[in-house]
Amino acid sequence: MRRVVITGAGSINALGNGTRAFAEALRNSRCGIAPLTLFDASGYRTSCAAEVRDLTPPAWLKPAVARHSSRSDLLALIAAHEALAQAGADSAASGLGIVLGTTVGGMPGWEEYFRQGLVGQRRRRHAVALTLPVSTSVDVLAAVFGCSGPRLTLSTACSSGSNALGVAVDWIRAERAPAVLCGGVDALCRMTFSGFNALQALDAVPCRPFDRDRAGLTLGEGAAMFVLEEREHARARGARILAEFLGYGVSADAHHITQPRPDGAGAAQALQRALDDSRVRADEIDYVNAHGTATPLNDVLETRALKAALGARAHRIPISSTKSMVGHCLGAAGAIEALACIVALREGFVPPTLHLEHPDPECDLDYVPNRSRPHAVHTVMSNSYGFGGNNTSIVLRGVG
Amino acid sequence: MNHTELKKRLKRLLVDGLKLEGVDPESIQDAAPIFVEGLGLDSIDALELVVLVEEQFNVVIPDEEVGKLAFASIDALAQYIAQQQRAQAAQGGA
Repeated sequence: MRRVVITGAGSINALGNGTRAFAEALRNSRCGIAPLTLFDASGYRTSCAAEVRDLTPPAWLKPAVARHSSRSDLLALIAAHEALAQAGADSAASGLGIVLGTTVGGMPGWEEYFRQGLVGQRRRRHAVALTLPVSTSVDVLAAVFGCSGPRLTLSTACSSGSNALGVAVDWIRAERAPAVLCGGVDALCRMTFSGFNALQALDAVPCRPFDRDRAGLTLGEGAAMFVLEEREHARARGARILAEFLGYGVSADAHHITQPRPDGAGAAQALQRALDDSRVRADEIDYVNAHGTATPLNDVLETRALKAALGARAHRIPISSTKSMVGHCLGAAGAIEALACIVALREGFVPPTLHLEHPDPECDLDYVPNRSRPHAVHTVMSNSYGFGGNNTSIVLRGVG
Repeated sequence: MNHTELKKRLKRLLVDGLKLEGVDPESIQDAAPIFVEGLGLDSIDALELVVLVEEQFNVVIPDEEVGKLAFASIDALAQYIAQQQRAQAAQGGA
């Protein structure tokens, strides 16, 4: 089977702009959660969010494109630009495909447009209407970077980012494209805040994955984009290989519209399928980046799933939730967490789970509490469990 | 309104209506291109401009052909609007 490698990565989120800033923030155990400033949070049970601060259109972007871009478009553009620059591939010539995972698309811009209409604001920019479809960001990326390969937007709630990487892998394995720009993006908006608030799924304080007193998630925003490439294609052009994407597995709970199967069976199935697809044994996994949303349900079912699928190994490896640092970025989460895995592989440390003060007897594994830890890892896994039981696990391996 | 005032108003309309950040309306030259080069407006800006012109002046840009000519510059747009308004006045009668 054709092997898939990662030759470029780009990042923007609450921990900063660029993969360098992200890696350093992970190493320094920084928290990107702070009071929300993008819109009025009064009335919600929390004002905590992991916002991208001072988002401005970059100098290389044409002003007309910047003017018509939604917040999501801008985040995706910034991350994609970094990934493409790193990969050094001539995107126009290579038939580069694009797969993007997202949940809200241009929703923030539409909320503002709608609000302006409700308060009778006379002059509104109607062009924002063009940015609502979730497929818009992919079209903007293709236009700006000249990508002529197949393109796709997918949405599977919180596992969108991971699934986008999985589809890119499928395309490369099926020889649909030699290289694919892929990842996830999402921007904070009133709809998701209100939705999670109504479900009572937001913690009033920065989220506390695996903690006994955890009370829900903290929302975040951002984008992580990668260039995935067929391995021989990358080697032939002398590309720098960041890591190898070994494989992935998906499953569906068929249980409830928002709640996961409490026994973790769906999650364990995705995990096992990822191991099978990667041809990796449980005892080869050195680190797991958990879905770790800090909801009472997720953290315990994830612990069960890890034990079921990894057996004894689950008790011997570090497992952490970077959502404690960068928030739950929904459609971007799986991609951002894949990047955290790449950082761990390349830099020899595992990021922490912040705000872990009180161990939960039902969550009794090593979650790397509060401080990052130097720890060489070679094969790592990332889990994402989307609303409605969209389970995905991916496996990455270090190079050199 | 006279022709000079109309052009001034159009320049302000462009900047305010299209939300052109950091552009001083006075700096827009009457005869300079406003699409692609010059101000660098694009086809999405053109859509918005059609709506703004209709709202502000009650003047319609019926198709892309007319739009290309009318939007060539501030001068061209002012001329088109003045022309249309004269035609409307002539038909209006009462």
